[in-house]
Amino acid sequence: MSRRGTISRTGGPWVSAVALLLALFWVFPVYWMLNTALKPRKDVMSATPKFFPGPPSLDNFRTALTQTNFAGDLRNSVIVVGATVLVSLGLGLFAAAALTRFTFRGRRTIMISILVVQMVPPSALLIPTFLVFNKIGLLGTYLGLVLAYLALVLPFSIWVMRGFFLAVPVEVEEAGRLDGASQWQILTKILFPLVVPGAVATSIFTFITAWNDYLIAYTFMQDQNRYTLPVWLASFTTPDKGTDFASQMAASVLFSLPVVIFFLFLQRRLVSGMSAGAVKG
Amino acid sequence: MSLLTEDRRPGLAAPGTAHRPRRAPRAPWLMVAPSLTVIAVVTLAPIVLLAFVSFTTYDQRSLFTGIYDWAGIDQYTQLLQDSAFWAATVRTFLFTAALVAGSVVIGAFFAYLLTRLGTVVRTILTVSLVLAWAMPTVASSVVWNWLFQPGYGVANWLLTKLMIFGDLTDTNWSNDKWLAFVVIWLLIVWQAVPFIALTLYAALTQIPAEMTEAARIDGAGEWRTWWSITMPILKPTFLLVTILSVIWDFNVFNQIWLVSGGGPGDSTSTLGVYAYKTAFVGFHVGQGAAIALVTTVLLAAVSWMYVKQLVRSGESL
Repeated sequence: MSRRGTISRTGGPWVSAVALLLALFWVFPVYWMLNTALKPRKDVMSATPKFFPGPPSLDNFRTALTQTNFAGDLRNSVIVVGATVLVSLGLGLFAAAALTRFTFRGRRTIMISILVVQMVPPSALLIPTFLVFNKIGLLGTYLGLVLAYLALVLPFSIWVMRGFFLAVPVEVEEAGRLDGASQWQILTKILFPLVVPGAVATSIFTFITAWNDYLIAYTFMQDQNRYTLPVWLASFTTPDKGTDFASQMAASVLFSLPVVIFFLFLQRRLVSGMSAGAVKG
Repeated sequence: MSLLTEDRRPGLAAPGTAHRPRRAPRAPWLMVAPSLTVIAVVTLAPIVLLAFVSFTTYDQRSLFTGIYDWAGIDQYTQLLQDSAFWAATVRTFLFTAALVAGSVVIGAFFAYLLTRLGTVVRTILTVSLVLAWAMPTVASSVVWNWLFQPGYGVANWLLTKLMIFGDLTDTNWSNDKWLAFVVIWLLIVWQAVPFIALTLYAALTQIPAEMTEAARIDGAGEWRTWWSITMPILKPTFLLVTILSVIWDFNVFNQIWLVSGGGPGDSTSTLGVYAYKTAFVGFHVGQGAAIALVTTVLLAAVSWMYVKQLVRSGESL
């Protein structure tokens, strides 16, 4: 469909040419990351760049995976990100249900607070959280990092899931009530299943935020054995030895892959979802 | 102003509906309590603590001994006399303005372009945009360092081939104040454009064709139609992406930290980077807290605009 009843009239060939040129420009860094990752090491550090790779080589991936603490860092990331996603989903579901399916005193105040809290920049939380964790021994622990991530994602999760609950008509609940379902059953057997698509989308937002975080992990997880993947990726650059770009680009591909796949899946939802309240960039 | 009025829509938990009294008033509180507790512990308490620490001389020694002095208001009078702080503030505002202007203008152009394309080219452009957008900022930053690597960077090579700027093969971008800004600007704008372009494009497709057709029949050109018909309808969406861009760009950290480290010297340190360096590199934690608090307050005005805008467009939430 070249038209969707929009303002558009499809432009001439020069419009397409400009668009293709811009597309090339925009995709080039991604292409160059892949291209470098798949090149033999000797071609990476060459004065004349090779734009089209020969037969792809997986050596750089092998180096990135075996010469570093990849397995351990992946494990750290999976544990912390997994826990963040599960906890914020569990807490967020109940909170969002309470805020949309019940009326009670203070509900409005809670909702405005959640919206306002979500605006607090992560950098403002970094210093005080660091100090408290340092004092009570949570610095460098999984629990500490999960708590720090909940600050980033929980208000947002509640806010977004609230929207999905609002979309469920109240009649659905009433039907359940007439059939004699208890409040708990209505919640878990009727409401929650209906918001599964929204909960999945919200969890992907949560996943991406926690998976991508560099600042907090870099500051809190100072023990090399507790690095998460973003810190692992950035640590291919060391002041003394320079950067091993060949394997860093391979690592970059591996690290970005899950996020890119999620993005391609969720692109449409992301456009509306981000403008509806995602503030943590 | 009645906030969150959309909750009063029929079919939702309207007060006084017949079946409400059957519900124990305790239930909703039990359901929100865990979330509220977590939010209070991980967000509200740290903000209060940040304010407190910003009035102390907390430093590296205090981290081990727990001992610190009360600096009181002196902390802030000192900060206001600190030329590096003022430089970082001005830098942050100018850089944010340059980033927002760049990404919104280019994003709007892309959105317009998308409406003028056939399916195939539009899909190619959209996928390119989504790929750039999807890259985690840590990954895009290390890729950028590689693109602009002195001696081997493909950007250096291409720019040299253009023969406009002379031989840039060995240019060390992050070692020069202005070049470092240019590279970081390109990186952030490159990743900010897709969201803006696709959001504006989504809004553009909602405008009925009849409206613009009518303008054209009345003799309005392409440019006039855009200014008189399209722009006014797009205004709320424009406002939203602009406010979000201001918030995001004001807070940028990873890209600056990983590309230039805020250097050379402090010349690319925005307030966020400056606060971080003060607190975690120099370990003047108290002073860093004061800078972070000032940053948050400066941003609060913009954030409030965002919240208001969000509530105003409530129906679509």
